[in-house]
Amino acid sequence: MSHLNQEEVQRYADGELDDAAAVEQHLRDCAACANAVVGEMQLKRAVRDAARMMPPDVLRARVRRRLFGGQHTAAWVAAAAVASLVLGALLSAGAVGTLTSARELADLHATILASANPVDVISTDRHTVKPWFEGKLPFSFNVPELAGTPFRIVGGRVVYAHGQPVAYVMIGKSGHKLSLFVAQVTLPNGGMRGFETLSWRANGLTYVLVGDVPRGDLEQLRARF
Amino acid sequence: MKMSFEDLSMPLFPSLYGYARWLTGEPHEAEDLVQETYLKALRGFGSFREGTNFRAWMFRILRNTFLTSRSGLKSMASIDEEPELADEIVDAGTPETHFVNRANGEALRRAIEALPLPFREVLLLSDVENMSYREIGEALAIPVGTVTSRLMRARRRVRAALEGMR
Repeated sequence: MSHLNQEEVQRYADGELDDAAAVEQHLRDCAACANAVVGEMQLKRAVRDAARMMPPDVLRARVRRRLFGGQHTAAWVAAAAVASLVLGALLSAGAVGTLTSARELADLHATILASANPVDVISTDRHTVKPWFEGKLPFSFNVPELAGTPFRIVGGRVVYAHGQPVAYVMIGKSGHKLSLFVAQVTLPNGGMRGFETLSWRANGLTYVLVGDVPRGDLEQLRARF
Repeated sequence: MKMSFEDLSMPLFPSLYGYARWLTGEPHEAEDLVQETYLKALRGFGSFREGTNFRAWMFRILRNTFLTSRSGLKSMASIDEEPELADEIVDAGTPETHFVNRANGEALRRAIEALPLPFREVLLLSDVENMSYREIGEALAIPVGTVTSRLMRARRRVRAALEGMR
């Protein structure tokens, strides 16, 4: 196939190409097009990092209180009345949301690996990575000891998926890079174009491993947690 | 099992707030906009059809609320028509590479702020919200082809702005 035009570069980086396989074949052979795709993904990630805004906690609490219970002002009482008609019994799903798009994690994995500065804390040692996450996430999780295994910790950062903070730990194994995502929300599993994945839940958290490695490797790694 | 409005809408809270901030450019207006959006959506939830895209529906309500507000009308008044196609060049040769320095978040924020609304919103929905073109089309009530071309021009302008600052 010939070189990608700008629209194809864009659509590939956005995961919008129907026939990604032909493009991927071309990208393996063509440094110019591969660079263009990496440049596009970098811009996407830079925009994502620069443009994200976190709402004040008080605002969220205010909306929750006004719509879903607590003290009502006149206007909101009317709304709540409509709500009770429409909604029926409220479900108590707690704060657990669901990531609907498996593509989102695969994209994150691919984008992070393609970026110039993939991690914010660089360390081969879990004793550095674990404290680094403290205060940056609304939860804490266990980073496994990998000494004596073929795996090593490369570093970590905080990423966002579906508006939720997610811990990201990069794990290396002889030239391959694996991604570990840890979140409070339910993370999707399976169907992530070309990557092996393994996910499990523990202590109210969801762990997802993503990598271009045999599944046995992921299971071996999983056993360290 | 039917999900409640609260279950469906509250996970979107940070996303809707962020979008409101970028539309209004101002924290207090963004807060009002988000609250009004939730109220309108709750009232209209009965007419929401299950199986259609709830996220796109919420964004659409927020956007329509903004466009009918004073600052929304003002921001649309500055755009007379679909921005010109003049800067659209579909090159067929070797693609150019542009690398962005991630460290320069402030310059990037200014470049996004300077984008006309139709470009700014597709960029945010694609890159920050990770929406598919189809979902963006649903939220903004525009065809997928328009999403594609606006996104291309948005990124081109952002790159040009960043290169101009060097």
